[in-house]
Amino acid sequence: MAEFQWPWEYTFPPFFTLQPHEETRQKQFKVWTDLFLKYLKHNNKFTLGINDQTSPLFCNESINRRLSPEFIQLILEQLQQTGHAAPLDKKRQEWQVYWHTLEEYGNMVYDWIQETGQTNSICTLYEIASGENTTQLEFHDVDEAVLLNALRLLEEKGKCELIEMDGSYGAKFF
Amino acid sequence: MRRRVGLGAIQQQKLAAEKYKDKGADIQESQLEQMTKQMDVFRIKLEEFAMKHKDDIRKNSQFRKQFQEMCAAIGVDPLATGKGFWSVLGMGDFYYELSVQVVDVCLAANHKTGGLMELDELRRRLIAARGQSPMHQEITKEDILMATKKLNIFGNGFVVHKLGKGKYIVQSIPGELSMEETNILSAASNTESGCVTQNQLMNDLGWTEYRTKCALEKVLGEGLCWIDRQTDEEPSYWFPSLFPGRNAQLVAA
Repeated sequence: MAEFQWPWEYTFPPFFTLQPHEETRQKQFKVWTDLFLKYLKHNNKFTLGINDQTSPLFCNESINRRLSPEFIQLILEQLQQTGHAAPLDKKRQEWQVYWHTLEEYGNMVYDWIQETGQTNSICTLYEIASGENTTQLEFHDVDEAVLLNALRLLEEKGKCELIEMDGSYGAKFF
Repeated sequence: MRRRVGLGAIQQQKLAAEKYKDKGADIQESQLEQMTKQMDVFRIKLEEFAMKHKDDIRKNSQFRKQFQEMCAAIGVDPLATGKGFWSVLGMGDFYYELSVQVVDVCLAANHKTGGLMELDELRRRLIAARGQSPMHQEITKEDILMATKKLNIFGNGFVVHKLGKGKYIVQSIPGELSMEETNILSAASNTESGCVTQNQLMNDLGWTEYRTKCALEKVLGEGLCWIDRQTDEEPSYWFPSLFPGRNAQLVAA
């Protein structure tokens, strides 16, 4: 896999300090949220632990700067506002973060089901996320937990029904 | 010879004076005529020169600079008049075009630079924005300075600050930079990575603690610089516009 391209700000020491000036802070958040999403997408990761101090995403050792847990929390909350993240525990320490919003994932899956004529048949989550038929699609390799959440949204809209089988899930699309 | 007295003598003197006057006027007239002729010739020659070297002036930065200097020496500003024979040069157009591009480039980068850009970087970005032909590539810093001068008429929204040692910084957000801020910028531009600390400023500029603190707060409050609190001692203040790593990434990308 190609090496991850860090933005220039990653080598800019004050980037790791929350900026007091309103406009500057907004710019800073914009770059950080972008970076979070790009980094996770690049590594195909969907979860983040705030206390994972070894992640290069949180610290740049070459300039000896790191993000404080509070700052990470703020960035994740920003991502939550745009629908790109959700906390997994009550203490908000573990987070699910996704490149596309759940709604987007749901729609993509639904469109694919429609195009391939699989309505009214049952697909397992594994088929959707890791099956051979979806390798070219944007949602391929998506975390199954994320996918499940996306399908729950679809279920609410009445576009599919989730079926639990031996601890794993399948979905029937309408 | 014995001087004659009488009416005749006075009349003769009067006549002579009149003749002198006439002659004087004659000479003046012919001189003026000659001057006008010379000026005409000069004008025609200059026009011919300008026409002949029009392309050179537009394309060749060295030539353009020398032509500028020549015009300055004889007290003509080729940019001042859009009319008359100067317009054949399109000199004005050249600089107006350039200044529009300068504004474009600066505004596009405002969100990253906080509204300040070093002249060198501006030149690089301009060149990148202007297309590949050699004519577009050859712009000097002098050209950019000349073009930005044209932008002064828009008030203080666009100002070039001299930081000493041939370094300039272009400010593309409204607002005056005070002497204090200019000094801080200047101090930061002399450091390797474009950052300053309070103590450093107090040493370099001989300011009091209070003055330095206020000035730094102000630059921070205007979004021109970022604060870094993860240093060993006091916080440091960084100017993205002066941070070399930003351009390194730019080249790599």
